[in-house]
Order: sequence, then structure tokens, then C-alpha cells
Amino acid sequence: MSAPTYQEMILRLERFWADYGCVIQQPYHTEVGAGTFNPATFLRCLGPEPWRSAYVEPSLRPSDGRYGENPYRFQQFWQYQVVLKPAPDDVLDVYFESLKALGIDPVDHDVRLVEDDWEGPTLGAWGLGWEVWIDGLEVTQFTYFQQLGGLDLDLITAEIVYGTERLAMYLQDKTSAFDLEWAPGVTWGDVYRENERQWSVYNFELADVALLTRRFEEDERECGRLLEHDLPIPAYDLVLKCSHTFNLLDSRGAISVTERASYIARVRALARRVAIAYLEGERAVAAL
Amino acid sequence: MPSLLFEIGCEELPARACESAAAQLPDLVRTHVGPGEPQVFVGPRRIAFLLHDLVEREEDRVERRRGPSEQVAFDEQGEPTQAAEGFARSNGMAVSDLERADGFLWATQRIEGRPTVDVLPEALAALVRGLNFPKTMRWDASGLRFPRPIRWLCAKLDEATVPVSLDGLTASGASSGHRYTSPEAEIRSAGEYVETLRGAGVEPDQEVRRAEILRALEDVGEWSDPRNVLSEVVHLVERPLVLTGRYDERFLELPLRVIETVMQSHQRYFPLGPGRFAFVANGGNPELIVRGNENVLGGRLDDASFSYARDVALGIEDMAARLDSVRFHAKAGSFADKAERLQGLCDRLGGGDPSREAARLAKADQVSTMVHEFAELEGFMGGVYARLAGAPEAVAAAIEEHYLPDAAGGPLPATAAGRVLSAADKIDNLTVAFAVGERPTGSRDPYGLRRAAIGLCRLAVEGGLEIELPRLVQQALGDLTRQGAEVTDNPADVHEFVLERLEGLLDVPVEYVRAARAAQVGELGAVAHLAQALAAEAESDTFERAYTAYDRANRLAGKADGAAPALDPKLASDEAEVALLETLGAVAPRIEAAVAAREFGEALAAASELGPPVDRFFDEVLVMAEDEAVRANRLRLLLDVRDAVDLLGDLSQIPR
Repeated sequence: MSAPTYQEMILRLERFWADYGCVIQQPYHTEVGAGTFNPATFLRCLGPEPWRSAYVEPSLRPSDGRYGENPYRFQQFWQYQVVLKPAPDDVLDVYFESLKALGIDPVDHDVRLVEDDWEGPTLGAWGLGWEVWIDGLEVTQFTYFQQLGGLDLDLITAEIVYGTERLAMYLQDKTSAFDLEWAPGVTWGDVYRENERQWSVYNFELADVALLTRRFEEDERECGRLLEHDLPIPAYDLVLKCSHTFNLLDSRGAISVTERASYIARVRALARRVAIAYLEGERAVAAL
Repeated sequence: MPSLLFEIGCEELPARACESAAAQLPDLVRTHVGPGEPQVFVGPRRIAFLLHDLVEREEDRVERRRGPSEQVAFDEQGEPTQAAEGFARSNGMAVSDLERADGFLWATQRIEGRPTVDVLPEALAALVRGLNFPKTMRWDASGLRFPRPIRWLCAKLDEATVPVSLDGLTASGASSGHRYTSPEAEIRSAGEYVETLRGAGVEPDQEVRRAEILRALEDVGEWSDPRNVLSEVVHLVERPLVLTGRYDERFLELPLRVIETVMQSHQRYFPLGPGRFAFVANGGNPELIVRGNENVLGGRLDDASFSYARDVALGIEDMAARLDSVRFHAKAGSFADKAERLQGLCDRLGGGDPSREAARLAKADQVSTMVHEFAELEGFMGGVYARLAGAPEAVAAAIEEHYLPDAAGGPLPATAAGRVLSAADKIDNLTVAFAVGERPTGSRDPYGLRRAAIGLCRLAVEGGLEIELPRLVQQALGDLTRQGAEVTDNPADVHEFVLERLEGLLDVPVEYVRAARAAQVGELGAVAHLAQALAAEAESDTFERAYTAYDRANRLAGKADGAAPALDPKLASDEAEVALLETLGAVAPRIEAAVAAREFGEALAAASELGPPVDRFFDEVLVMAEDEAVRANRLRLLLDVRDAVDLLGDLSQIPR
């Protein structure tokens, strides 16, 4: 099997997980640092209802930008996110099957699960799992969620996060993400390199600290107001906005180590309130 | 006699969980299964043991239960009452089979031991629940907790499968071989476990895996393992395959330690000299695997080169200039403030120019990209960037070494300036934390201050650095206050906190350290030497005499009221009293001088001269004399004796 293009690889993942029974969703419309933040994961993995979903998620990490000069670091990259709730007993075997669908036969390679305990402090979330290495390259993070929003979970979700650029670099035998063949004749660099440069300038040099500081506080207040009206779903979007604003302030170097902890605690407090409100809403609907 | 195999099949376990299980299993097996020395196997996907020569069945045992008293058990006619009948029935016996002794009825029964195979299911389930791990998880609704999901149990007593059942999982004879090549492995009998797994692509014995890896590494060349990743790698693979790869020699412009850190911290590779590395795979096609790993390392090194080049372009002076915008602690200012305090402390510690200059630049690498990427390279990168900027070697080396010692028993800085800067940094960290109300409590020690305190003790004891801690803490406090830090607490306790660490560090019983800590000696190394001197003399007559003088004087006068404020020699009338007074007059200055000169053996010898006159004094003199002035003077004399010896510490701490 010849190496798939970047888009072909993603299409194969979509096909594989659709066939497995996942709801294939689309990227979320609000900036997130990882697919975990998408409500299709954070909110849906709370509570007792089974849920399976998969989607591509553009992940924004402002301080990881390198002006498009470094072939491994980007302020925006693409995760392929799968959540299986509850985690099936053979979930790892299913994951290895998905690698085969991409043309990676674990028999030929050194596919290893290396301990990696995941923590998302702004979401009050943590889980245990692994980095999956293929021939030394980390291509996936695999996590069994234990808590979200600081709450113990009714059902344990298995979360599979493919790093699509890494995986494609591996499949296409490329040492730079910019050289990845996105579609025939078009590279990843053609599509996103200039994007990286401009956003790096904004994230590191131009983002308006006073404006962002104000925005954080406004969004935090708005989140609280929506919670008073029992609207945890829109309130959750404001948690995401606060989280992203905090990341931007961080990449502007505007946050000291201790202030950092207090910002994280503020976002986490909101995430927790949203999680509790969401669960209450679910229970109310179930009781109807 | 049968052999037992029990295997807990898991998804890939962390190496630490493997080690922990291996340490716990022998005792758990003896508690739950039976005596003997189990052979323990741990690896990424299994925790298992083999135990040979199990008994076929439990031993029979005799149980004797007490029933009602004879008075209650029989009526006036001597017929059994309902109580007796009931007791017999509850034991499945007839009243006539019960024994009468000591005024009671007794039921004595022989309980037949159950066959081992019947006992094991319960015992093995209890064994699994008995394993303790610091970090565990849930993975399904069973509520069972383990470091990673348990996916199968395999239990064989010779050829028989033992039906252990654990929250929905039931043991069978099926194990699993190598995850990708031999998923199924049927264990026909316990004794065939190891061979069956080897045939299924798994080496279950961790020591064999370790030996295989070591042998293969020896074969490929001059390997090294500065961060000891081998102990983890042993538990990352079930069938070790040692391979070697190359990286582009252009990366050799990076400091070697950076290359090694990239290799080891991310990838668990073993450096093999310039341009080569070894790694351990878990099977697969070597050609594909080597190419993949070479690409990964190339990418990582490229990334490190990118960061390094940015740092070098900036230079250490520009990094240092940025320290005023980097917060060291929310209540204690920036790293620039810290650098200023460190310079003052280095001066006070007598470090001279190299340590002062090193202190100015010591924290510059906190703003470097490399330290941001690899926190464990702090200090080292500072040294590298200082050298590139043309700093004298003594300065660069001091920056590089100033986090040492960074592990229990790890090396101290090799250079004098390095030791001074290391001490200054630790004193500052301690002072800041204590001054802003963040001293360690219980197990909470986020800034690693216990380790810092131990490091400080070692710098004094092993490094010979003079550390007058109370004065140094006061100086740092003065600077903090002047710099506008939010000082809420007096950090004078730092001294006690550090001295407490001496107790665990010195090779003398803690009582001697406690005694020495009470001496009015402010210098850290001196306290240590005093404790050592006291312990060395503990069995000698010299010590005994000094101790006696101290102890007798203290016992009588220590708690008594009415001692005169000062000794009046004219009031001494008794011969023994005069003798003690004269000896004290001669000896006290000698003790003081010897303690000041840190000649503690000498001080102890002087103090011991007080022993005989004190003994004689107690034999011949009535302290509680009728005359109030005489009594007060005698009490004062004893207190002065005590205080003279007290310069050597609180000898009452030492059990006699």
C-alpha cells in the first residue's frame, strides 16, 4: 500500500471509526487547545449515557508557534480524536486495527505503549494511559479518563488522540511537516506555513494584553451568568474562550508563575460548575 | 507436590508498577498461598509468580468450642436442657458427643483440610486485592483499581485450571504471548509457563531480559546510560531487540550532554559515542524500526539545535538582563532580585569574585529556550552559555554546578566557587520560603526544601564550607525586605530546620546530634563535628566525668529557685566548695576557647576535669544550707558548672 496523502489518511480514520460505530463529528467552532476540550468529549463523557464519537480537531497552542521556521512545532496542529464511552475491553486491539487501516502493520514495527499520565488542569481532568510509539515516534495519546471537571466519572471513557502530522510524517517518511503531501501536489506547508508565521507574530508580539485581560474577566462573568440561567452548554463555550485567552496571555509572557496557577484555578472552577450543571440537566431530561 | 502458576494479565504497566509488584509479591504469596520462595515474573503485560511444592490439601485441624455452663445445660434430673440441645445441634453433634470439662460443655471437632485447588480461588483473589500501588485507575464498572486494566487471569495448579474469579474476570489456562505476533498462548501446566511464553515471543523473566539487553549493548560498543533508563526499558519490552542507529554528525556541535538528554529523556536511547545510539525494541522488522528511530532522533536534535542556536544568538548577558521580568516568587520578586541576594550571600560566605560573578549569571538560563524545553539542563546550559561568552572557567563551572548535590548521595560541586554558590542558592530558597510563610509542612514540600537543607549540611560537613546560617539568613532577609518582598514570617527557623536534617545525615546516633544542636554554635559544620566528637568519646571516662559534672549540677540546681545572680567567691567556706570553684575558674575559659576554636575533644577534656570536684562537692557539701546567702551562692556555683559544660551542648539528651 503506497503512503496515503494527509487528507487520505484522515479519510481512512473517518471511515474506520464510522464503521466502528462512532458519530463522526466536525471540528468545534471555538478555539481549543486539544480535542478533549470539544464538548463532544468534555460534556458527553460526563454522566451515565454511552457515547462514541470521532472528529478532527484543530488544536491551538499559541506558545508552541515557531513562525513557521521549525518543522516540528506549530501554534496550530490537527488532532484526530476518538472517544469510546464506556471503554470496550478490546479497545487497544481496535486501536491497532485502525493503524492497519492506515497501512501500519504492528507485526513489522515496534509499536509500544509508554506510560503517560494525562492531566488537563484547566478542565479539572485527568486520566491514565500511554503515548503510543511507532518505531520511536509518538503518534497517539491514549487515555482512560478518571475525572472531568473534578468529578469522578460514571463510565470510564477511552480517549484516543492521533497526532495527525506526526502520523503522516511517519507514513510518508518525511522529516518536516511542511513537506507532507496534503493532497496530490499540495503540501502541508503550502496550506499552513504562512498561517504559522502570521499567527506566531500575533501570539508572541501583538496580542493586546490589556484587551485579553479584560476579555478573560468578561467571559468569566458571562459564563457565571449563563450558569445562573441553567445553560451549561453555552456556558461551556465561555470556559473555552477563557482557556484560550489565558493561553494567549501566557504566550505573550504576561502571566507570572503564580498568576498562572490562579488563572488555571479560575478556569477549572468554571469547568467544574459547568460539569455539575450539565449533569443536573441530563438527569432532569432523563426524569421527564 | 504440585506447582502453582498465577498470572495477572494487564494492558501495558508502568515500569514502576512492575518493580513495585515484584517487591510485594513474595510476602503476599506467603500470606495468601503458602510458604516458600515464589519465582516472580513482571513485565509490561503481566505480573505472575510460580510457586513449587504446594501441599495437596490444607492440614486437618481440631476446633474446640465452648458451650453453656453445666448448670445451664442440665436440669435438676441431670437431663440436657434446650440450651444443651441447641449447642449440640449448632455443631451438628449429639449432646452425648459433647465433652464436659471445667464446668462447661465443649464441642470438639476435627475439621478436614480442603484440597488446595479449592482454597486457591479465594486466596488468589485476595492476593490481587492485596497488591498496593501509589497510582491506580478504574477502567470499567467493576470498581476494581489497578495501575492499568487487568484483561485476563491465568491460574494453573499443575494441569488443573484454578477458577479464580475477580470482579467479572475468571481465570483460565489462557495467557497471551507477544502482543502482535502471538496473541494466544495456552498454558497446559504450571511448570510449562516459562517455556510456553518463550515460544510465544515473550521473555517473562525480567532478569533474563535485563541480562539479554546488557549483553547486546556490550556487543554494540561503548554504550552509556547516564540517566539510568535501563531499569525502565527492561519493563517496556517483552522480547528485547537491541538495535543501533546513527545521527548526523552536524549535531555534534551541540554539547554532548544536550544530545544525551534528548536521547534519554524522550526516547530512552543509549548513547554510543559520537554519531551513534542504541535502543531496545519489542520486536519487528529491524530495517524499518532503525530508520524510524533515526528519523525521530534527527527531528528531536534538529529541534534542540534550533533552540540552542536561538539561545547562543541571544547570549548569557542578554538573558541575565531579562531576569528582572521573570518572577522568582510572587511574594519575593524577580530572578534579578534573587541574583542580587545571591551575590550578597556569596560575599558573606567568603566566595570572592568567581562566585559573585557566577551568582550574577547563575539564573540567566532560566530564560533560555533550552531550559524551557529540558528543565533538567538548568545550570548546565548556564555554564555552557557563560563559556561561550568568554567567562572565566571558575565562573562557568560554578554556574554549571550550583544545583548540586541534586540527589541523595550525589556529588557536591567540585569547585570552591561552585560550593559557595550552591550554598547561597539553597540558603536563599529556604529563607524566601520561610519568610513568605511557605515552609514545608508534612509531606508538602513543593520547593524541595528538605533536599536543599540536606545539601547545605553536606556542603558544610563534606565540603568543608563554613556556613554561619543564622547570620546568612538574616542577611538574605534584610535584602528581601529592602527589595520589597512580602515578608510575613521570621525565617530564623531555617536554622533549626536545617539542623534537623543533620540528624539523618551524620553517622552518629541522633541523641548526639540533638545534644550538639543545643550548643551555641552557629556554624553548621561545627555542630556536625561536635556531634561526632561527643559520639566518639561516648564510652570514655573523659565523657563520663564531663557528663557527671553536668548531670549532677543540672539535676540539683536546674529546677531549684533562689540561685544568686552572680557567684561570690567570698561566700565559699567549705573546702570542697572552694576546690570546685577554683577548678571551674580554671576550666571554664578553656572550654570556651576550645569550643570557639572547634577543638571539641579539647573542650570535652577540660570539662571532664569538673567531674571529680563535682562528685566531691556533693559528697561533702550541703547545698541547701541554712544560711540563705550561702545556699544561693552554692546554687549559682552549680548553675555555672552546668553552663560551662553546656557550651558542649545539651548532654542531657544523651541516654546513660
